[in-house]
This record gives sequence, structure tokens and C-alpha cells, in this order.
Amino acid sequence: MREDELNQIDEEARRRGISREELLKRAAIGGLALATSGGLAQAARGAIEAKPKRGGSFRVGVAGGSAKDIIDGQDIVTNPDQARLVAGWETLLNYDKNFKLRLNGLAEEISAEKNNAAVWTIRVRPGIEFHNGKTLTADDVIYSLRRLINPKLKLFGGAALSTLSASGMKKLDSRTVRLNLKAKDVTILDSLAQYVAGIVPVGYSPNAIGKATIKQQIGTGPYKLKSFTPGQQSVHVRNPNYWRTGQPYFDQVVVIDFPDDTARVNALLGGQIDAGVQIPPAQVSVVQGHSGTKILESPTAQWTPICMRVDAAPFNDVRVRQAMRLIADRPQIVAQGLAGHGHIGNDLYAPFDVMYDSDLPQRHQDIAQAKSLLKAAGQSNLTVDLQTTNGALGQNEGAQVFAQQAKAAGVTVNVKVLDSGTFYGSNYLKWTFSTDFWGTRNYLQQVASGSLPTSPYNETHWPDTADAKFKSLYKQAVSTVDPKKRADIEHEMQKLEYDNGGYIIWGFSNFLDGYSTKVKGLIKGDKGVIPLNGFANGFRTIWFG
Amino acid sequence: MSAIAARAAAVARPRGIWGFILRRILLGLVTLFLVSIVIFAATQALPGDAARAILGRNATPQSLATLRKQLNLDRPVLDQYFSWLGNFLSGNLGHSLVANEPVTSLIGKAVENSAFLMLLAGLVSVPLAILVGSVAARRRDRAFDHATSIGTLTLAALPEFVTAIALVVLFGTTVSRILPAVSLIPPDSPPWDHLEELILPVAALTLAVVPYITRIMRASMIEVLESDYVEMARLKGLDERTVLWRHALPNGIAPTIQVIALNLAYLAGGIVVVEFVFGYPGIGAEFVGAVSNRDVPTVQALAMLIAATYVVLNVFADVATILVSPRLRTSLQ
Amino acid sequence: MSGAAATAVEAPVAAPARHRPLVVLLRRAWRQPRTKVGVVVVVLLVGTALIGPLVAPHDPAAFVGAPYSHPGSGHLLGTDNLGRDVLSRFLWGGLSILGLAAAATAIGLTLGLTVGLIAAYSRSWLDDALMRTMDVILAFPAIVLALVAIATVGPKLWLLVLAVALTTLPRVARVSRGAAVEVVERDFVQAAEALGVSRVRLLASEVLPNITSTVMVEASLRLTYAVGLIAGLSFLGFGEQPPAADWGLMINENRQGLTVQPWGVVLPVIAIALLTIGTSLIGDGLARASAGIDRGGGE
Repeated sequence: MREDELNQIDEEARRRGISREELLKRAAIGGLALATSGGLAQAARGAIEAKPKRGGSFRVGVAGGSAKDIIDGQDIVTNPDQARLVAGWETLLNYDKNFKLRLNGLAEEISAEKNNAAVWTIRVRPGIEFHNGKTLTADDVIYSLRRLINPKLKLFGGAALSTLSASGMKKLDSRTVRLNLKAKDVTILDSLAQYVAGIVPVGYSPNAIGKATIKQQIGTGPYKLKSFTPGQQSVHVRNPNYWRTGQPYFDQVVVIDFPDDTARVNALLGGQIDAGVQIPPAQVSVVQGHSGTKILESPTAQWTPICMRVDAAPFNDVRVRQAMRLIADRPQIVAQGLAGHGHIGNDLYAPFDVMYDSDLPQRHQDIAQAKSLLKAAGQSNLTVDLQTTNGALGQNEGAQVFAQQAKAAGVTVNVKVLDSGTFYGSNYLKWTFSTDFWGTRNYLQQVASGSLPTSPYNETHWPDTADAKFKSLYKQAVSTVDPKKRADIEHEMQKLEYDNGGYIIWGFSNFLDGYSTKVKGLIKGDKGVIPLNGFANGFRTIWFG
Repeated sequence: MSAIAARAAAVARPRGIWGFILRRILLGLVTLFLVSIVIFAATQALPGDAARAILGRNATPQSLATLRKQLNLDRPVLDQYFSWLGNFLSGNLGHSLVANEPVTSLIGKAVENSAFLMLLAGLVSVPLAILVGSVAARRRDRAFDHATSIGTLTLAALPEFVTAIALVVLFGTTVSRILPAVSLIPPDSPPWDHLEELILPVAALTLAVVPYITRIMRASMIEVLESDYVEMARLKGLDERTVLWRHALPNGIAPTIQVIALNLAYLAGGIVVVEFVFGYPGIGAEFVGAVSNRDVPTVQALAMLIAATYVVLNVFADVATILVSPRLRTSLQ
Repeated sequence: MSGAAATAVEAPVAAPARHRPLVVLLRRAWRQPRTKVGVVVVVLLVGTALIGPLVAPHDPAAFVGAPYSHPGSGHLLGTDNLGRDVLSRFLWGGLSILGLAAAATAIGLTLGLTVGLIAAYSRSWLDDALMRTMDVILAFPAIVLALVAIATVGPKLWLLVLAVALTTLPRVARVSRGAAVEVVERDFVQAAEALGVSRVRLLASEVLPNITSTVMVEASLRLTYAVGLIAGLSFLGFGEQPPAADWGLMINENRQGLTVQPWGVVLPVIAIALLTIGTSLIGDGLARASAGIDRGGGE
């Protein structure tokens, strides 16, 4: 059996959570011939190569964008930056369509020392080339990780990698790196799988973000950057030496900014673009009903919560927080705020995480109980301002629908729609009552980002003194390698947040992406972080058919 | 010497006109200077702090101090004003807080787009209005004239955004879908490569100014058609067509120059709403965006640009009127 | 001596004539069909704005269906971007625009008249200074001035009213000064001044009534334009904030659904259009009537 086929079998085994021997055993039982030259591998390869066709220029319209657009293998500023990043750069490992971690990236192995989540070994695949022909080595990995956590650059992906230490990175051989973390951290895998944790070559833009010239924008991704005009469009050409044989399929990809939703939809309907992401709910029926275009609706774990500061009146009284959560008629908020394109939430984030505690009973609206709680807290005719901004789908809408529902409980919520400059200005993270938006993440990662005193974006200032235990539970969880033990800890943490937390998480919006029927390869029901199947994994898993 | 005689004597003195023009231009410059003061004063009356607004969530006392120094916020207001004005005049329009790059590079293409839009609107509206006004004058008090009268009254009353939205509803989205409802021009291509996208915005601007020009044209033509001059041309035996085109029209247009120029100046403000409705990437849309984001330097620069265009066109209106109309010239001297 | 006597004789004759121009003007204006149409339209719309909230089938913030639903039972003209009843929101949405526009016009008129009258009467450096100041304000396209103010303080309703009033002021000042200058030069005013009547009294009792027709025409013009500007600023997002029901705001909020459900946009657009056309027709009728008066020399 050939080495690469063995690698594929290993990967398959790892993906299923079983050993290589077990997989071979099962395959034999299942009748798959492995003794001959790569039965399993061949079958798999065959399935992939049967349909895709090479060629064509794929034009995708993305939402937002402005003169602030950048291209950087490890950072994003505006919405369109996402598509441009994944076209040119890749991460060590990925999430699959069920939001499970998978070694389907640049690394062929990432493992912790036996039960010691503070020491990790990463080995990259052999023979992967950057766009300039240079081979990917351990030096590049170390450089990339160091750049990600460089405090001067403040990269988007760096915040989650707080346990990485620049001095703790050691090169073991040309393809292997040893990481000595500052503390035990099982979430390091999630952090390395973020799409913004791209691997860049040594010397890539060391001191600035998005200032590299076209020639310097080097990654391992399926497309090379050809041209870029911020606020308008970028052109990416096929990487002929891409390491996954056969991919990508398009000759080039054009990413076009469309700050106006109507313009994006019209461009899709008119055939000027082959896909348009983030179609407004109002236009879904138009795109679906138009011949030649379809809607891809995908579930996400992205949420636009209403945030209550647990350390400021009136929400420092846990009864008031609980009352507000009982006011929310979640199905109605999803129906009116997202036009039905989403699923309801239970005041807990990270629903895709295996550790999400689905046993906690789903909260429903209970105005009577809310009123009695408010009365007990002496806040019967509460009036509050709710600061919000037009950041993401559902952010304003959720606030407005909630405000309307609050009237039934005698609570007056004054929704203040601020421009983003003011909202994210000096008072951001200080508002007593506000909204925000978060992408899809797993539980512990999200806790680090927003639910600890050390988190960069803790809107609710959780935990309050009564729930201080949360912090130590977190420390325990990140150092526990055993999934069963960790599950118990994570469930305990979630129970605290479920009972006393400052978030009203009413639901999660779906991705609504429009695409031309010419485009093949898109998967339904993909649980992704960024739209259009993660922009088709860097535009490499779709083709024109 | 009687006043009339004095004036008659003065006809032979060309210095008077140029003196007027010079004074008018000077007055325009003074106005611009005062406008700049108003803009600067208004925008500097910020309740917050520009440095805080930029740094937002990343603000530390040290980074605030550094940025304040960079933005000259620590210098006296008068100092700041003069340095802003000096910069503006030398082509440095300031640094956008939101885009974090010079305003000039931000709006370069936008200026071109807006200029082209205004030019097209002018090229369409002026001949159209002159034509309609003349025909209405010719067919005075008849069906066409009445229809025109109602039409211009209606259009003049409507706010531009109403006209613009109505056009979108009629031709772009609802009643019919024959024209693009949004006019996004890609950055690397010139606006004249996308004429179809320009039809509705130009129409909106045209409908905003045509009524006024039409009305003045009609009034002017009525006067001309009743004048001795035209009477004489008719008596000379010239056919009606020649009378109209060669004799009546040129004289009819002269008094309307001022209104025409004033309306073209008005377009400088009209593009703010129209560009927003159509998503047209011009300075009007940039201006609304800058106001939304409280991007003070960009607001200052664009307000100054738009106001300057307006003032310049106004000065031009006055100067052109004087140059074109002999009667007014004499009355000046 | 004889001059004083002549003035004494003239004064009582002038007194009754002073009050007649206004009534005469209105009567003449009303006789024209366009004024009638204008008044009917404006009354209808003001009525809708005032009575609308009382007859609206739903609370303007209540949810009655899925967003952008087509007209159906429970929502006669469909729903808006959040699923609220378009008809109800429309019925509630005129008050703020009318109120703000009326307030801005009233303030602008008052201030403009004051400035214009003072300028006309003083005919000195004060006149020049005031008018130059007016020129500076007029040097801005109105919307730019309003937006610059909003850029600093933010979208506050009182700022909106003040900004629009500010743009109204110079135009009223110019027109009223122009009309007042003519009156100020007339004999009876000179005579009254010679008699020692205080300037303020003169302005109020002699000059003001005689420029009524001009002012009224200008007032309706300014109102038309104030409605347009306020609605426009609301449309841009700088006026009433969500979830308020406001015609200008509604137009922008529901633009996304134009291809699916146009009523959220079309209804307020028609309302604003009719309102501005109506006030404009009234103004035009007044203008024609006052021109008639001037030519006829008063009755």
C-alpha cells in the first residue's frame, strides 16, 4: 500500500475516532478491498473526480466592504476580507460540515502529550508549496503562530491563542513543531482551526496588517492574489501547484464588494455574479423563484444577543435578568426579526459544540413569572434604554421585537439605534443594556472571548460575584483532556450561565446565500462559520457544471 | 446730469463690467471663506472627542494622547482652523477617521463620478427645459401650456428623494423592471461605461431642476414673442421658423442664464440624496456615509467641496447674466 | 402744518384699508381652482396625520404577520420589514413630519421676518451686515447645512427643526426685506415716523400688514420645502429613529422589500408627494392672487 493512501486511511480513521487497525478491520468486513493498491483511497478519489469540471471565472458578491478592506492571511477587518483570506491561505486543521474538528488542513498530525494539554506536537504534510514555490516547513508554522500572537499587530485570530508563548515554540525537524503552552489548554485546537489562523511564509508582513503588496501576498491556498482594489473587488487566479490534487476547479475567482443588499441581489438575478452571499430574508423568495438561481440556507451558531450588564443596575439583581429572559418570545423574534430563517436559542451559546447541554429545558415566554420576579426585585415598571446598531442580521431586529414584547410585562425598552461609530466607540462594552453579534464558535473558545473578566469582548461583565465559581471551572475545563470529565465541567458552567447569565440569546440566524444553478458542489446543511460553505472551502470544492 | 444720461454715458466704459465681475468674484471668495469658518466651527463643536471616537474599544490613555497630538487636537482652535484651511487649499483634505486614509484618495473617483452625473443632468435638463418652455410660450394658454404649468408646479414641489424613489418604483422594481434600480459603478471603470445605470439618477436630478428652468424660459419667451424685435422680424416677411429659431430663441435664453446656472448649482446639493437612493458612488453618497459615521474630517472636506461648487456656480450665474444681457450691463454703469 | 393735517386726514382712511389686504388676498386665492385643490389635498393629509392614530387598525409597533407579507386579512396593505401593519404605521406616521415641518417653518418665518424687517427699516450698516450673514447661510445647499449640524451632535429632533429653520430664515429674510423696503419708503410710513411713532410699533402696525401677501406666499413655499427637507432627512436616517412610525423613515426601512411588497414605500411616498404638491398649489394660488392685488392697487 502506498504512503499517501496510508495517510488517507489514517485520516479517515482519525475522523471516525477509531484506530487504523479498527478501520481496516471494518473495511474488510464491509467488503472493501484494501489489499490491492488502495481500494478505499481509490474509491474515495474516484467519487471526487467523477463530476467536477475545470475552468471558468467564478464571481462572488459579498456584503459590505469599504475602503477599509484588507487582505491578510491572518486578519480581517471588514466582511469581504473573509472571502479573500480563505482563497489564499489555509489553516493547520479545519471544521467539517458538522462543525467537528478535522485534520483536513496543512497538518497531518496535531497531538497533545499524554494527558498533558500544555505540550502539543504539530507535523505538517510533506511537499506543500506556497504560491512562490517555497515548501511549507516548521519555520513557517512557527513564524505564523508568532505573528498571530504578536501584541503589536492585535490580529483577530490572536485573541483566542492566549496560551501560546512565542518562546515556547520549538522546531523539532523540518516538518515538526513542539508547542509549550503557558497553561493547559484543550481549546488550542479550536483556536488553530479558526479560519483567520492562516499559515503564512516566514517574513510575511511582519510589522503591519494588510500592507503587503500583491507579490508579497503569499499563502498555500487554492488561489493566488492577482489584483485588489479595496472597497471594490479582488481577483484571484488558480494555484497550479495546489497540494490537493485536482483542486481547485475555477481558473479564477473574483470577489466583489456589494455594500448595498439590493444591488447584490440584482447582480445575482441578472447573472453578473455567480453567487451572492447574505441575501436579505425579504429577497429569499425572489431568488428562489427566479429561474437560474437558488438559495442555500445553512444553519449557523451565530448569535445576536441582548446583553445585560450583571454589575450595573437594574440588572445586577439576578431576578431582573431572569425576568427579562422570560419576557422573550423566542419563536416570535425569529419569525419577525429573521423572517423565520433561524432557530430559537435557550440563552446559551455554542449550540454546535458536542458539549452543548441540550438537557437544559427550553425557555419559553412567561410574562406572569417575569412580572412577579420584577415585583420581587422592586422593578415593576422598569424603563431601560437598549443600545443597538446595524451590525448583523437580527441585531436591530431582535432588539426591536424584544422591546415590543417587553410592553406586556410592563417594561419599557427604548431602542436606540446608534451608528456603528458611536456604538463601537468609547462606550462599547460599557453599555448597561445593548446588543452585539458573535460568530460560530465552540463553547470554551467563546467563554474565553466573551465570558471572562480577561475576555476582550465581555459585554455583560460576567461573572458576578455570586457566580465567581465560573472562572475556576473554566481553568479546570481547559486543562482537562478527558472529554467525559470535561463534559461535566462544561455542563456545570453552562448551568450557571443558563440560570444567572447576562445574555438573552433568543436565536441563531441561518446563512442565506444565493447561487447560480451553474454552480455545483455546494453542500446543504453545512454548519459553517462563514457563508457559502466557508466560501466553498476557499473556492476549491465547487465548479461550474 | 440726470441719472439716465449718466448711465448712457457710461455705456462706452467697459471697465465697469469687469469691475463688477471682479467684485462679484471677490465677494464669492469672501463667502467661501466665511463658509469654511462655519463648517469648521460646526464640526469642531463635538461633544465627544475625535481621538476617542477613532480608537474606540482600543483606547488607552497613551494611545489617546498620541493620536490627539497627531490630529492637532492639543493646539488652540484658531491654530487648528488655519492649518485645516491651509491644508485644504493645498489639496490635503484631511485624514478620514473611519477609513484611516487620506480623504483625497478616498474621494478621488467619487468626485469624477459626481461631476459626470451633474454634467449629464445639466446636458439633459437644460435643452429639455428650454424646449418645453419655448413650446409652452408659443402655445400659450392652450392645452400644452396648461399641462406644462401643472407639471412644473408638481415637479417643483416634490422633494428629490420622492422623485427618485418614484422613479425606482416605476422603472426599477415594481411597476416595471426595465432599468437598474441601483447604480453601483465598479471602482476601476469610468461612469461613462455604465450609462444604463445612470439613466434613473440623471432623470431624478433632471426632474428636480427642469421645472424652474422651464418656467423662466416660458416667461422669457412670452416677453420676447411679444417684443417689437420679433414683431419686426415677422413684418419683414421671415417665416415663422426662422423668426423663432434665429430671432426669438437666442433673446429668450439670455434672461434665463442666471436661473439655469443657479439650478446647476442646486444640483450640487441634489446629488446628496439622489446618490444615496441609487447607491451611486459619488461624493453625495460619501457625504451621507461620513455623516452617519461621524467621520468629521471627511464631513468637513466634502461639505467644503459641495459648498464651494455651489458658490462658484452661483458666482458664474451672476457673471454670465451680466455678460450676456446688454440691458443689465448698462444698468450697472 | 398742511403736511401734518394731510397726514392726520390720511391716517384714519389708511386704517381700515390695512386689514383688508389679507382677507382680500385669501378670497382671491380661494377663487382659483388650484388653490381649492391644494387646500383639499392638504386638509386630507393633515386629517390623516391627525386622525390616523385614532382609526389605525393595529398598534404601529405590533406584529401582525411575517415580514413583507402581501396584503391580506389583518394587514390590508401588507406588512413591513419586521412584520408590522403598513396601514397602521402609515396612519401614525404623518404627525411627526407635519409637526416638525410646521415648527421649523414657524421658527424660520418668525426669525426671517424679524431680520428682514429690521434690515429694511434700518437701511444702514445693519442692513448690510444682516444681509451678508443671510448670504453666507444661503451659500450652503440646505441639506448640506443640516447634515453638517447633524454630523456633530447626532440625529436629534430639535436639531433637525433648528437646522431646517436656519435654512428657511435667509430666504424669508430676503423676501420680506424686499417687500418691506418698498413699504418703508412710502409716504405714510415716513409720516408716521415723523410723528414720532416708535420703530417697533411702526414695523408691527404699518409695515408688516402691507407685506402680508408676500409673506404668505413665501410661507407656503417654505412649508413645502420644509416638509421635503424633513422627510428627506428622516429618509436618510437622521430624523425619527426606529421603532417610530414616520413616513420618511418608513420609506427607507422598507426599500429592501420593494420587489416583494411595495406598499411600505409607495404609501408614504404618495402621501409626502401629495402634501408637498398641495402646499405648493396653495402657495401658487396665493402668489397669483397677490400679483392681482398689486396690479389692481388694492380694493
